[in-house]
Amino acid sequence: MARIIVVTSGKGGVGKTTSSASFASGLAMRGHKTAVLDFDVGLRNLDLIMGCERRVVYDLVNVISGEATLNQALIKDKHCDNLFILPASQTRDKDALTEDGVEKVLNDLIKMDFEYIVCDSPAGIERGAVMALTFADEAIVVTNPEVSSVRDSDRILGIIQAKSKRAQAGGEPVKEHLLITRYSPKRVEAGEMLSHTDVQEILRIPLIGVIPESEAVLHASNQGNPAIHMKGSDVSDAYGDVVSRFLGQDIPLRFINYEKPGLLQRIFGGK
Amino acid sequence: MQNSLTRKPIEIKISTVVAVAILLHEASISVLEAALKEMTSGSPDFFDDEFAVIDVEAIADATVDWNALIPLFKSHGLHPVAVRHAREEDYATVRSHGLSIDVVSKPRLEAEQIAASAPVVVQAPVPAPLPVEPQIIVRNNPAMVIDTPVRAGQRIYARGADLIITASVNNGAEVIADGSIHIYAPLRGRALAGATGNTNARIFALTMEPELVSIAGIYRTFENGFPPLQANHPVQVKLNGDSIEVSSVKLVG
Repeated sequence: MARIIVVTSGKGGVGKTTSSASFASGLAMRGHKTAVLDFDVGLRNLDLIMGCERRVVYDLVNVISGEATLNQALIKDKHCDNLFILPASQTRDKDALTEDGVEKVLNDLIKMDFEYIVCDSPAGIERGAVMALTFADEAIVVTNPEVSSVRDSDRILGIIQAKSKRAQAGGEPVKEHLLITRYSPKRVEAGEMLSHTDVQEILRIPLIGVIPESEAVLHASNQGNPAIHMKGSDVSDAYGDVVSRFLGQDIPLRFINYEKPGLLQRIFGGK
Repeated sequence: MQNSLTRKPIEIKISTVVAVAILLHEASISVLEAALKEMTSGSPDFFDDEFAVIDVEAIADATVDWNALIPLFKSHGLHPVAVRHAREEDYATVRSHGLSIDVVSKPRLEAEQIAASAPVVVQAPVPAPLPVEPQIIVRNNPAMVIDTPVRAGQRIYARGADLIITASVNNGAEVIADGSIHIYAPLRGRALAGATGNTNARIFALTMEPELVSIAGIYRTFENGFPPLQANHPVQVKLNGDSIEVSSVKLVG
């Protein structure tokens, strides 16, 4: 049975799209047929992160309004054969997302035998964000270790609990996962940043992973490669762990402790 | 519209409606107005247009100026729907404002006796008319229990009841109860107990880091930090006169 996963945060700039791209790529790399949908109508950038912006012909709004079929709009990923991207519209208004339209697109994707459908939510709590989470089975709440991001994540969790179809039907609730991104163990050690336990203490949902702050993310975005493809980087390993945990493996957290650089590292500037 | 043929245009059913009771201990409009002002601390949506039953039993001897009283409540967001224990000569005035006379149910036996003593006119049985007025029941509800964290932007109101929360109340959340509030986790948001004026209501929490606490409309914020209390003890907030008192809950002995 297909699972619909929303990647959301409330606050902007915390790493939703980066996480959606790497998470969806990670699922596809493990052999699961995966679709990743950009719900950020008007401000699309999932296609940039996935490096397929030059191949966008049709988008989510075209499909919803019947101007294109789903097959025409889905873009095959350049790295994985079983990953498909459905970009958002750059030119339309977010009101073009109707609940019926979104539901139909998701149902059609399920009929196409997709195992995982990852919905990249826009920031905020407006229509696009609500549409992205309405039909979710699971939610990955992306949070930076600072108070405003945590507060916004708390707010979006409340909205998931109130507005998702699962919540309204009163059955099994949306399964929530906490993903902490841009984590800097050094700054946590110095008391400049909330620790992952602090964040978890406030939000009280299971932690699926901690992604360290890294320049590799910026390089990856600029190249149009999801960060999970930056082999050998801590970010790539951390996203790999997230995917493993999502698929049910129990593996310990990494990249949460600060190790003082040794003498050689300081001399040769290792990262 | 084929549907409308099979559907009745109107249905009348018995419905239980929750209303607040306004117990008047004073007939003077100016005194009541000042009291309401203090209770709501000027907040126009304090009562949220709730149904209200005005009970004048305590001032049965006084003359009530209904023409001023009813608009007074309406202006504070209370929506009077009925009057209890009104004097019979006031019935017409009360009804002219669109309010009902709520007859507090007499014991059945008494009612039957009244019926029996009344002159009986024999006539063909007529089906009893359906009750049109919704029956207003004011009651002490069982405590509301919440097991999930109360998150930013969420608001929980235990109407006419205590509120028990077994998970944290986060910053930006608001929990309100007409009775007391018990939180078996940290309180970081706003907590308002005794929302309809119960000055004996209290707030309890395992850890108190609230944005605001209020009891019966008297509130306190903690801009300069929370008063230092013995660590690892639950904390309670209660009203002492007209000030909010914060203390540890300690085991006696």
